[in-house]
Amino acid sequence: MNVAMNPTQTRASAGTVTKPAPGSIIFDKVSVVFEPAKLTAVSEFSLNIAPGEFVSFVGPSGCGKTTLLNFAAGLLPSGARRGTLLVNGKPPVTGSHDLAYMLARDALAPWRTALGNAELGTEVRGVPAEKRRARVLDLLEKVGLKGFENAYPKALSQGMRQRVALARTFSLDSPILLMDEPFGALDAQTKLQLEDVLLSLWQRERRTVLFITHDLSEAVSMSDRVVVMSSRPGRIIADVPITLGRPRSVRALQKEAHYHELYSQVWSKLEEGLSQ
Amino acid sequence: MTDERVWGSRKIWAARLIVLAVFFVFWEWAAHSKLIDPILIGKPTGIVQYLWQEVLVTQSLLNDFYWSMGGTMIAFVLGSVAGVLVGMLFVTSPSTEAVFNPIFTALNAMPRIALAPLFIIWFGLGLGSKVAVGFSLTFFIVLSSTVAGGRGVNPDHITLARTLGASESQIFRKFVLPSAVPVIFNGLRLGLVFALLGVIGAEIFASEHGLGQTLSVLAASFKTNGVFGIIFLLSMIGVGISWGMSSLENRLLRWR
Repeated sequence: MNVAMNPTQTRASAGTVTKPAPGSIIFDKVSVVFEPAKLTAVSEFSLNIAPGEFVSFVGPSGCGKTTLLNFAAGLLPSGARRGTLLVNGKPPVTGSHDLAYMLARDALAPWRTALGNAELGTEVRGVPAEKRRARVLDLLEKVGLKGFENAYPKALSQGMRQRVALARTFSLDSPILLMDEPFGALDAQTKLQLEDVLLSLWQRERRTVLFITHDLSEAVSMSDRVVVMSSRPGRIIADVPITLGRPRSVRALQKEAHYHELYSQVWSKLEEGLSQ
Repeated sequence: MTDERVWGSRKIWAARLIVLAVFFVFWEWAAHSKLIDPILIGKPTGIVQYLWQEVLVTQSLLNDFYWSMGGTMIAFVLGSVAGVLVGMLFVTSPSTEAVFNPIFTALNAMPRIALAPLFIIWFGLGLGSKVAVGFSLTFFIVLSSTVAGGRGVNPDHITLARTLGASESQIFRKFVLPSAVPVIFNGLRLGLVFALLGVIGAEIFASEHGLGQTLSVLAASFKTNGVFGIIFLLSMIGVGISWGMSSLENRLLRWR
């Protein structure tokens, strides 16, 4: 199995080979309540995500999608967290090497080149210089940035910057990838290209992906399951399995009838949620 | 990138020289025809003559120049190092900043030139008192730019760093410090000019050497050409400093 277990992982991973592929995420009656504002962002959210699954969360703005991601990444204050959330079998910890987080904005460091930025994650996590360099150069080529290794972010387009961020995210060993609307700010054409880049990267390693988006077509075309959420406090309205074959091409799907059926199914669920 | 409304650089330089030529010819004429008394405004040809004599022939001004520059560099280096260090302390420890910020603001509000007589009593007529005035100006400028730079770190970078599991020192070295450098540089450029200003100002008060000291002697004896000569020299030094800092900045901060 080419699951994202890698001997270079710095922490004790000697015994994990015999265990099932790592990367599950389990939400069990998870609620998030911000006490000072008396705001319930998420209520009684239960969901199992299997290792290697690509799951998207869709729902209206403010329904707590990002909050759930932040919960998993250990970014929420402990007072706001209710219920049980297990990431790779463990409670969430800030900076856990089990996950890689990709933000909506590229968060590139303007003082680093494309190569330096792509390397930043592995550098912080202590991967030896030669090893990370080789991996990042390979990824930059895969995301279509060969020849731009030494360009500074100011010289790159939005789409290219997000490609660098993709390389930075995928260079990490983590079995779980959290992605918070990574393509939200891109134009339609660039978005389609990057969705295919993401799918091809994912197809090689089959890591668990938790993907947040506003864009239903994006969710349907990339995911194994689409979780439709209600407006605040966020609950699950529907959990729609996406029965499209793999590997997929997002652009080819646009002409496929079954894709459009699934799209309208998700859409009607989302509408139901909005009218409640 | 080329804007058709802007002249080429050759044309701009030509126009610049014409403006200056007209200005100096008018000045020369006004002094020569006694329209304004040359005791008050000197004479461009007299100024050139003075500088030629003192810089190239007797070279007496060079000694003063070295004293002033030496004081400026010492004041700048000490003031910037202290400013960056204290600034970084403030950035990493907001409580320390909360304690010291109003005190430093009050100190910075003092007219430093007015403190020059006190510094001369404390540190003597030599280099010490000049460095003290220059330092007291540079320090606060570099301090405030360092704090501003350190505060200006992109919150996305901090989120990213935290999810990567970066330590406090990694966050500081890999995110806070590099993003503060451009703002610190602005402070350094200004700090260097102010170090020069402080040193020259203190020399004018009382000194054994330096361009400021020579300037005040010349002024006291109504040698207006000499006064203007030194003022031009100082202004050239200031331009040189700014230019040098800018080219250093462009070299170090190519990513901007």
